[in-house]
Amino acid sequence: MAGIAAERYTGASIKRSEDPRILTGAGRYVDDIKLPGMLHAAFVRSPLAHARVLSVDVSAARALPGVVTALTGADLEAMTVPGPDPLMALIGGAGPTPEFTLLATDKVRFMGDPVAIVIAESRYLAEDGCELVEVEYDDLPPVTNAAFALDPNSPPLFANLGDNIARPHSRSEFGDVRSTFANADRIFDFHIDVHRHQNVPMEGRGCVASYDAGLGVMTVYAATQSVHVSRIGIAMRLGLERDKVRVLAGDIGGSFGLKIGASREELAVAAASRLVGQPVKWVEDRSENLTASGQAREESFDVRAAVSNDGDLLGLDVKMVIDTGSYPGMGTMVPAIMEAMLPGPYKLAALGFESTAAITNKASYVAYRGPWASETFVRERVLDLIAKDLGLDPVEIRLRNVAPRTNPPALMITGRPLVGVTSKESLERVAQLVDFPAFRRRQAEARAQGRYLGIGVATFIEAAPGPRSPEGPSGPMGTESMRLRLTEDGIVALFTGQMPHGQSHQTTLAQIAADEFGVPFEQVRIVVGDTDVVPFGLTGGSRSATMTGGVALHGARQLKAKVLDFAAHLMEASAQDLLITDGNVWVRGDPASAIAVSEVARRAASGQFGADVDATLEVEATFDGGEGGWSGGTHCAIVEVDVETGIAKVERYVAAEDCGALINPAVVEGQIRGGVAQGIGAVLLERSAYGEDGSFQSATFMDYLMPTACDVPRIEIEHLETVPLDADVNFRGVGEGGMIVAPPTVVNAIEDALSPFGVRIYEQHLPPARILELMSSSRPGP
Amino acid sequence: MKLPPVEYEAPTTVAEAIDLLAEHLDEASVLAGGQSLIPLLALRLARPAVLIDINGIDELSGVSATDGWVAIGAMTREYVAEKSETVADTVPLLAAALPLIGHEAIRSRGTIGGSLAHADPAAELPAVARALDAEFVVRGPSGMRVIPAAQWFEGYLTTSRRPDELLLEVRFPAARRGTGISFAEVARRHGDFAIVGLAASLVLSGGVISDARLAFAGISDVPVRAAAAEDLLVGERPSTELFDEAARRATGDVDPPADLHGSSDYRKTVAAAMVRRGLRAAADNAARGSD
Amino acid sequence: MVDITLRINGATCTASPEARKTLADFLRDDLNLTGTHVGCEHGACGACTVIVDGRAVRSCLMLAVQAAGSEVTTIEGLAPDGGLGTLQQAMWDSHSFQCGFCTPGFVMQAAAFLSDHPDAGEQQIREALSGNICRCTGYQSIIDGVLLAAERNRER
Repeated sequence: MAGIAAERYTGASIKRSEDPRILTGAGRYVDDIKLPGMLHAAFVRSPLAHARVLSVDVSAARALPGVVTALTGADLEAMTVPGPDPLMALIGGAGPTPEFTLLATDKVRFMGDPVAIVIAESRYLAEDGCELVEVEYDDLPPVTNAAFALDPNSPPLFANLGDNIARPHSRSEFGDVRSTFANADRIFDFHIDVHRHQNVPMEGRGCVASYDAGLGVMTVYAATQSVHVSRIGIAMRLGLERDKVRVLAGDIGGSFGLKIGASREELAVAAASRLVGQPVKWVEDRSENLTASGQAREESFDVRAAVSNDGDLLGLDVKMVIDTGSYPGMGTMVPAIMEAMLPGPYKLAALGFESTAAITNKASYVAYRGPWASETFVRERVLDLIAKDLGLDPVEIRLRNVAPRTNPPALMITGRPLVGVTSKESLERVAQLVDFPAFRRRQAEARAQGRYLGIGVATFIEAAPGPRSPEGPSGPMGTESMRLRLTEDGIVALFTGQMPHGQSHQTTLAQIAADEFGVPFEQVRIVVGDTDVVPFGLTGGSRSATMTGGVALHGARQLKAKVLDFAAHLMEASAQDLLITDGNVWVRGDPASAIAVSEVARRAASGQFGADVDATLEVEATFDGGEGGWSGGTHCAIVEVDVETGIAKVERYVAAEDCGALINPAVVEGQIRGGVAQGIGAVLLERSAYGEDGSFQSATFMDYLMPTACDVPRIEIEHLETVPLDADVNFRGVGEGGMIVAPPTVVNAIEDALSPFGVRIYEQHLPPARILELMSSSRPGP
Repeated sequence: MKLPPVEYEAPTTVAEAIDLLAEHLDEASVLAGGQSLIPLLALRLARPAVLIDINGIDELSGVSATDGWVAIGAMTREYVAEKSETVADTVPLLAAALPLIGHEAIRSRGTIGGSLAHADPAAELPAVARALDAEFVVRGPSGMRVIPAAQWFEGYLTTSRRPDELLLEVRFPAARRGTGISFAEVARRHGDFAIVGLAASLVLSGGVISDARLAFAGISDVPVRAAAAEDLLVGERPSTELFDEAARRATGDVDPPADLHGSSDYRKTVAAAMVRRGLRAAADNAARGSD
Repeated sequence: MVDITLRINGATCTASPEARKTLADFLRDDLNLTGTHVGCEHGACGACTVIVDGRAVRSCLMLAVQAAGSEVTTIEGLAPDGGLGTLQQAMWDSHSFQCGFCTPGFVMQAAAFLSDHPDAGEQQIREALSGNICRCTGYQSIIDGVLLAAERNRER
């Protein structure tokens, strides 16, 4: 890796400051936390998908030596403030609000729904206690698929909703849908399914909650993407003022969208800790994580495409059904994002979009890395299907349809400007990197020998954070705040609400601030994970590169100006004549004048200056995203399918990507590769499987299969020359792109491999048995 | 997923272990490598009252070759068998299967006897034992028994070991001159249990198959010998047509289980492909050996 | 409770864990060696990998009492004086990890593998590490770290 450039950190693969502790086992994850008198929680969970709870008897559990208490759903409602899901209350879900309780009270609604909590001296004893809790259930017919959920005869999961619709059906139209379809040469109809799969971070959800009755303060050590969002939920549910709740987070073992806001279990743990007067820890085990933490992506699409004989994709009309599981949450918001993103970087002239969200007896639909990703899957699948029918090459049809980069930029039919989008360049670059004609020759030779290779491409854009909009800040979640301070030890400290869980912010933000301010990388410290100390923020949505990188850059610039104003007094010079380089402040042209930044800081903290000198070396900065922008690219996969066993392997994978200016190339590449690995996993291995009776069938790693080092090839990454939009901040997010575009890339390649068999693929999950089924039927499966 | 309360015994001799087994019978589980048993305990699917940990019985480990057989002590770690030159030289089918068992860390602790006593029909060693007609030496209060593989595997995770008996060693016949072997499996990922696995062994004399063994992993609740296919092969010369017909006979009346990883039909299709490929590989292996 | 004596990271340790307690939980809870992580508790992810008597093992699949009389090395004991060994340094240089949760298991498994197979190539390394799950990296950077360590070991 590159050594530290004396002049510039940004753009270099600076070694991470996180790693010394990570590599020596000195990281501090939630399960590493030990507090005096700490107890442990475990949950009794429903073995049934849908049932009335007739009684819950915790007396035998409570009597077990080592068990401190056991609480039912009713107990927890009585000791907390009843209300809707605090996360949904905060971010405002669309649609009606179902009843919400921390644990199940009168009904269980999915296998794994928590019914009671047992608090004991150890997790071992808590689990022993759980086995002694007796719950009487009255089985109800389960609603295990969206189609049944939308049938008015299906038993409603929530009495107060009356039906199983989480979000009412809505339809929008953009452009002239009717006449686009009326005048098109060809109309195609497809039904496309995306299967249920899930985040699966290596560390599950968990927290340690500790209530100080004397101060009336609840402290929660959490694994979360935002300490502030968690705090809001905890305060709301426990009936505490926000500033009586402190949420702390250290190292977090991945999340991918799962750990946002305090979950029902974490709220129950916090309430229980207040009751028992001792700290309580709960960290979910793998079986809880797979069964109950939440799942994603189960969506189905009826797609109608209006196409010209030459392969112009003129219009799409899409009807979507999303299976939001049992306690509707962020799933209800996904269709709106999909609608906005469906046109992608293409010249689509008309879009009709309707969606319905169904409530079923499954774990809740949660945000999973690129929650709207199915829009790319649908669009990129449809392009390949059309291309095949018309005899067009997959790269050719995309080049034909991609919007040219114009000034002013083309507008997506759903409204956003495609400013700075390099999709065309990414397609051309992939075509250069992968010699398609040579591959087609190799493919033909292999087929003659009974081996089946295939190649697939897919193109995407993501709003990371998205282009500047007239209404205000780029992207969701508004402006980004940061406090920057030059501490009395001369450290440039950045206080941010970002909560890294693998994104390497401790390193990347320090690179930006070090460059802008003029100190060595080691003289910058990033402070995260304490609601008492950091401003509001959330890590997610692929926005931190722009929003937090931007506020770090501008904030460091503002702090530097303030420091130079102060230093001007010390050095009896004018602030405009002062420079900071390599940790020293000096007068331009006079190197002998240099004073260490740390000395300047020490002097400022000494309190010897009067009111006329501002010695408070601190700024509160905000950033609205500047010109923002899109990230995106084109990916290409070459696969081989063993047609006797259905086993598919990805032989080669190439990504041409544009995420703006790179802060740390190694970090960017790591994000892309991790996302691609998840996409490969989704297609070949991962499925959150429910039986017809609602039983969950992939509750261990023997059934929920994660991709391994033998499943993910070397991923070749080309960074495209990006179009700068902003004078200073051209970093764009890259966290979600790999996972958004890899599934269609791989599925397109598999379909290409199987084209001699006439296979057409309308789904995302292709385990070996399914591949053989598709070959033998060469008609769309059930 | 914490283990439930359980009593623990750690005998240091075979006699002690047998006394404990006789005392506790079905209430006891023998803890060898733990790579199969401990997950079952963690998931609270197994609830023995007593764990009898036999890791301290030194006499149960070791690989020795005598008289046309290789005897492997029940507590011999899988990685030890994997590194054993004796095993590589005399039981090549076993040597070929061992590296496919899970991952290195599993083989650090997993044992030959433990895997065979656990008898997961999708595991590698049961198919090898069945293919080679290995022999299982057990001892109980009433003395020693030698059980041939055909009688060892009774059902899903069930063997003919009585609750008061301890598996002492497993004996594998040494491969004869002219033997060619193949062990392969179709699994979702490297190191996973087989969806379908095949242990194949052919003996070629003068280009003619004089002995054929085919045993499947994963198509039934026990490892299964493809007797009809074996009968077809003996006396014939290797050919694609022969192997195709053997594949048909091997899978004609099997009724494999269905699960998340594959339907019954899928396993049947894959089993046939594995027979074709396995026989080709074994025949090539035999031909190379005789050069 | 069963009395055991064992060596952990070079130091002798005496304890009386419950028989059912796994080695992973014993290390983390009783010895405060929280560097070893628990990812699945059924031996399928490798996060809990430690070295026992020279072999990489899954500490969630061993009872603590079974480690009596053994030499156990955890991530905390891999490098002298809490610094970085060759493998750890190579992984730092290669940006091998992101969230870090899988890291100790990978490091211990790779360390054990490299000591037995110092000249292993990429495919062999991938197979050897295929029992360790990482959700963040897509594995390439981890493989690169191991290859770099092997190269540096050879240069010595």
